[in-house]
Amino acid sequence: MTSRGFLACRFDGRSAESAAVIFRVEGGILKVEAQDGALIESGHVKSVVVSERFRETPRLIRFRSGSTLEVDDKDGALARALENAGLHVSPVVRLQGWWQAVVVALAGLVALMALAYFKGLPIAAKWAAERMPHTIEQRMGEQVLAVLDENHLDPSTLPGYRHRVLTRRFAEAAAKAAPSVPYRLEFRATEKDLINAFALPGGIIVLLDGLVKNAANDDAVLGVLGHELGHIVHKHNTRQLLQSTGVGILAGLLWGDFSHMASSVPVVLGMLHYSRGFEAEADEFAIHFLHVNGMSAKPLRYFFVALRAQRGWRPAQALPEFLTTHPSTDDRINRLEKEIEKETARPAGTAEPGTATEENARDGDSR
Amino acid sequence: MSADPARAVGPLTPSSVPPLGPSPSRFIFTGSGSEYFRIWVVNLVLTVLTLGIYSAWAKVRRARYFWQNTRLEGHVFDYHGRPISILRGRIFALVLLAAYSWAFQFSTRAGLVTVAVLCAVGPWLFMRAQQFKLGNTSFRGLRFGFRAKSSEAYRVVLPVLVLWLSPAVLFAVFGEYRQPILIFSLLTVVFIPWMHHRLKAYQHGRATYGDRHFAFGRVTRHFYGVYVKGLIFVVLGAVLGGVGLGTAFYLLEMEAGIPGTIAKVIFGAGFALVTYVFAWPYLAARLQQVVWISTHLPGVSFWTECKAGTLFGIVFMNVALTLLTCGLYWPFGAVALARYRIGCMRVASIVPLDTFAAGLHAGSVTAAGDDALDSFGLDLGI
Repeated sequence: MTSRGFLACRFDGRSAESAAVIFRVEGGILKVEAQDGALIESGHVKSVVVSERFRETPRLIRFRSGSTLEVDDKDGALARALENAGLHVSPVVRLQGWWQAVVVALAGLVALMALAYFKGLPIAAKWAAERMPHTIEQRMGEQVLAVLDENHLDPSTLPGYRHRVLTRRFAEAAAKAAPSVPYRLEFRATEKDLINAFALPGGIIVLLDGLVKNAANDDAVLGVLGHELGHIVHKHNTRQLLQSTGVGILAGLLWGDFSHMASSVPVVLGMLHYSRGFEAEADEFAIHFLHVNGMSAKPLRYFFVALRAQRGWRPAQALPEFLTTHPSTDDRINRLEKEIEKETARPAGTAEPGTATEENARDGDSR
Repeated sequence: MSADPARAVGPLTPSSVPPLGPSPSRFIFTGSGSEYFRIWVVNLVLTVLTLGIYSAWAKVRRARYFWQNTRLEGHVFDYHGRPISILRGRIFALVLLAAYSWAFQFSTRAGLVTVAVLCAVGPWLFMRAQQFKLGNTSFRGLRFGFRAKSSEAYRVVLPVLVLWLSPAVLFAVFGEYRQPILIFSLLTVVFIPWMHHRLKAYQHGRATYGDRHFAFGRVTRHFYGVYVKGLIFVVLGAVLGGVGLGTAFYLLEMEAGIPGTIAKVIFGAGFALVTYVFAWPYLAARLQQVVWISTHLPGVSFWTECKAGTLFGIVFMNVALTLLTCGLYWPFGAVALARYRIGCMRVASIVPLDTFAAGLHAGSVTAAGDDALDSFGLDLGI
């Protein structure tokens, strides 16, 4: 069998001098011959390393002896000869040589990332959060509270009896709604009297004076506390932390050779998305919390309405939804109104329809 | 095309080797964006599917593509790194990095122990990384190499590492003295050009090709010159980025009530990106000029005709198109950048390069160090 010879450059690996040689593929044997036809070396096709075929580069063939050949393969003749000799092209190289497959792979990647982001991570984080030791969560919560106390929070200025009343009422209500969930209620104030309450890992609920002062009555405060208890029941803080870590890892995989900067943005967006889901879940718990205790959702609704008025709410949804941490206040109010409709339809309805005032809400309280 | 390296970097002149002999040779990069795009996609998909393990194989495929497409006088470079060594190196580095990130949150003692470990192994790791990178790169059948000696690695790298880590450590241990530590941190910034030069001098000065040793002339002063001028571009980028993005976000906040923390993070990322686009091309182009003109092989000199302005244009386009295409332009940008930077490299030797090459032989480093080479792969972007 006569075979075509390829002109090649040979480096023997001992010096950088190049020699012009003829390279032949005969059966499974690769032969290197000098210009005059004398055999320089030969090797089995399985014993050499052949570089991948790129558009503009010569193929590099490395023999066991340490010598290297540079052979031009622009027309693909060498590739065919090597394949006939039994050299296998790796599946990865085949894949990338095929445009359609690359496009499909890219689409598959996007789909896979979306699936991992929207379904895989939340499930994994929930699974892990349920198994995380409570002491770790507690330690995280105490650390965060210590930092907040040092930088942002002041001691509460509410009179002591208000603390006692709220603590007692919440304790009774929490015992009914989520009996075995440990929590701790902390009173704090802020400079501008922010209307807020929040949950920290390990069961700490921080209630700000501004919220107590601006709520129409204690039922509204309890509604908000029920919402925060919902965060604790569902371990939202821990799940959030685990999920954003997961998003960071996904982003790192994708943009590993970009910079950290590029991978930090998806993490932030990811955190926002999750916290919206969590807020809705906590709202559901708050409704459950109120119902178990025979309380109406109305005071909570009024509170949101008041909050909307106070924040100088703009009607236009100027901000895309994925950039917001909470479900829009409108959505939450709508959700509560649906619940209130159900309340009125129930025989054991706790509030009179249509005449929802602070007193009514209190009267409806079945204690 | 100017063949006078002295003109390329102003006052800096190569003292040991004037570029005599035949006209200089240019490096050529032959890679194409559409070809690399496919390699990049396949690498990305497999890396994600294997939860990151394939990243070591991806790195090898990427390095091979870029080296084999780099051509000098008709011959190409090659990369021989073994993926499994790179994987081992990456896992080790990841563990070290994770430990450093979290140890101080756990306790001060754990943090200090981690820092001690980092200082103990850091210089050795740096040395090994150079050895791996150069030892696995070849040209004309001969390997590059790095003359590694542990004692020298510690002497060179440890001061840099200590200086680099000290602000974070001081903050963690003496958190209550914020002001003095802040002032100290700012003072360490003054040493950045010194640190950079020290590492570059070590990298280039200990490199080998075959049996020849590279040499690197000390040019700390020039590093300071470049960094001081570069500061102007940092400030320019920061001002433009700050004013532009600041206005945009102020309007957004007024109009839509964008939540403060998110705005801050996006603003921060955008700000850093704008500053990078303005400052990096200048620093990279000028530092490359200084570094290469100070690097010699006996009888061979190097320089680059890389211009800050052209580099800025490429980086600007890369960043803009990458953002516009949600990242899909990235591989095209990487190729464009490599084509320019590699295409700017020049090499001149007293005798023709082919004649020079004929006298070159394999060095002892490669013969003896194969085992050490494969034990540990680590890529540091320095």
